[in-house]
Amino acid sequence: MSECRKDNLVHFAVTIISKDRPGIVADTTEVLYRLGCNIEDSSCTMLGGDFAIILIVSHEKPFAKGRLVEEYKGLQERTGLSTYVRALSETEVCPVKEEGELCLVSVYGSDQPGIVYRVTRALADRKVNITDLNTRLIGTKEEPVYVLMLEAILPAGMAVEDVSELLENLRKELNVEITARSITPVSL
Amino acid sequence: MPAQKILTYPHPLLKKLARPVIRLDDEISGLVEDLLDTMREGPGSVGVAAPQIGVLLRVCVVDVSGSKFGRDNNHGLLVLVNPEVIEREGSAIMREGCMSVPDYTGEVERATRIVLRYQDADGSEKQIDATGFEAVAIQHELDHLDGVLFLDRIVSLKTGLFRRKNYR
Repeated sequence: MSECRKDNLVHFAVTIISKDRPGIVADTTEVLYRLGCNIEDSSCTMLGGDFAIILIVSHEKPFAKGRLVEEYKGLQERTGLSTYVRALSETEVCPVKEEGELCLVSVYGSDQPGIVYRVTRALADRKVNITDLNTRLIGTKEEPVYVLMLEAILPAGMAVEDVSELLENLRKELNVEITARSITPVSL
Repeated sequence: MPAQKILTYPHPLLKKLARPVIRLDDEISGLVEDLLDTMREGPGSVGVAAPQIGVLLRVCVVDVSGSKFGRDNNHGLLVLVNPEVIEREGSAIMREGCMSVPDYTGEVERATRIVLRYQDADGSEKQIDATGFEAVAIQHELDHLDGVLFLDRIVSLKTGLFRRKNYR
């Protein structure tokens, strides 16, 4: 949305994790529908054998967080999924719009501790803002391979080549493949 | 005429089928001028289709020569009247955004090479072979003539390694 006027709304972050099965999203959102909550933003995906749901929901004021918590407690008892509800402050509600170039970084190589930490720390130190990230362990038991994919917005003045250069030392030190490429959307 | 306002979804015209141009008259020339002005006005815009400015006719303009993706491989400014893709091959995925759907982008699969038949601004029959980003831009604009938005063509929810490798 180009403008962010939500003074009449109260917002919550809802996190739900459950052993994967068909119907988790439906069960979860049925509660919201019944309570009259709107889903403003969401991300749901399979993680290992679990299904993870993160939602930003809103409701017209007045609305007590306890109602959400209570409903999900019931669902939790019936189906075994685990939920967490947090009230959001007004400053958290509006998305931060950044204008820099969008970059995809892929990192993969033999599994070892610290791949995610080292890469993301190097990016954070240069004010690169990660917008999306996922990792997966692939390969075989004997030769596990770690794959990290992330999307990030580069700060003004930084180019994709700078990201490659920035991660070059890490590539050698960890002996992993690291490539960065521009995925800035084309405006049509 | 000055640059026109770009309609944004859910404006109903964006989901309608545009009519072919029967005769190239002053009205069409005016429309082409409006499209060109609107394209030049849009920041980084490489194309505008008539339905995006509220005219349900099969006319669009494309120019990728100023874009870093298309600057080395293009036919310059294209005025496309009654355009029709008569051949397509290859496929590539690109993250597209659209002036008619602000604040959203998504990965769309398009042919990497197309043969396009159309009439130019003077009504002459033309045929070109477009590749790369120019081909993508043309396909995006032609979709507008059929009431199709890039949202109808998104192929990937996220940048999953496994889903992408087929396209490399």
